[in-house]
Amino acid sequence: MDAQKVDMFMMTNAKYFEAHHLNAIREKLLSLDESKWGLVQTMQFKEPTTSLIVSLLGGQLGIDRFMIGDTGMGVGKLLTCGGLGIWAIIDWFLIMGATREKNMETFQNAFY
Amino acid sequence: MTRNKLYSLLLIACLAGFIYLFYNIHILQSQTFRVCIIKNVTGYPCPSCGTTRAVTLLLEGKIIESLLLNPFGILVAIAMILFPFWVLIDIILKKESFFRTYKKAETIIRKPWLASILILLVLFNWIWNIYKHL
Repeated sequence: MDAQKVDMFMMTNAKYFEAHHLNAIREKLLSLDESKWGLVQTMQFKEPTTSLIVSLLGGQLGIDRFMIGDTGMGVGKLLTCGGLGIWAIIDWFLIMGATREKNMETFQNAFY
Repeated sequence: MTRNKLYSLLLIACLAGFIYLFYNIHILQSQTFRVCIIKNVTGYPCPSCGTTRAVTLLLEGKIIESLLLNPFGILVAIAMILFPFWVLIDIILKKESFFRTYKKAETIIRKPWLASILILLVLFNWIWNIYKHL
């Protein structure tokens, strides 16, 4: 794919991924065929900041985990009152990273 | 989520659960100690408030009373007994049957009709909890 288009994608979407993912994503996009550009452009990623807000408000009930697609963990959090309140607090700090990991999974499912 | 990460998380969670249960039964005597943030902040119970009391009642053999206190107790008790054994057997035999079941269960739960029924059940339990003044 054209380097200019890849750079455009990286600029607009860098915030959705962990720093150590970015290089792999760039390499992958450069190796892709030009016909994939439409698909790349229309991909939807989850905003880490939104999941942080949801985690602060509804973390006790596991709503943040349900939102990013970690249904199993969400059920665990819901049934145990947010892991006795401790897991809910830990997740305030982990949820942004978890969202970025989920975004990388979405990317990988589409192109690998 | 990889297999090893899920297994270690589950084992740690179950261990913490057993320690808390032991602490709650044998050392803690006062009934005013609460860990639930929602209950402490707003004064209203959350959907899973009373789970510890329900599990304690189950241990004493009072199944009906435990169900009436909070039905989540029985779910948590089954998970806490079943999952560690399943995970340990998987680790010893170097299989991943639990991991595959977990993934399959996640996709089944995510189906809209089932998800909405489960959300309604949780909401109903929440209303019931508030009504019971847990």
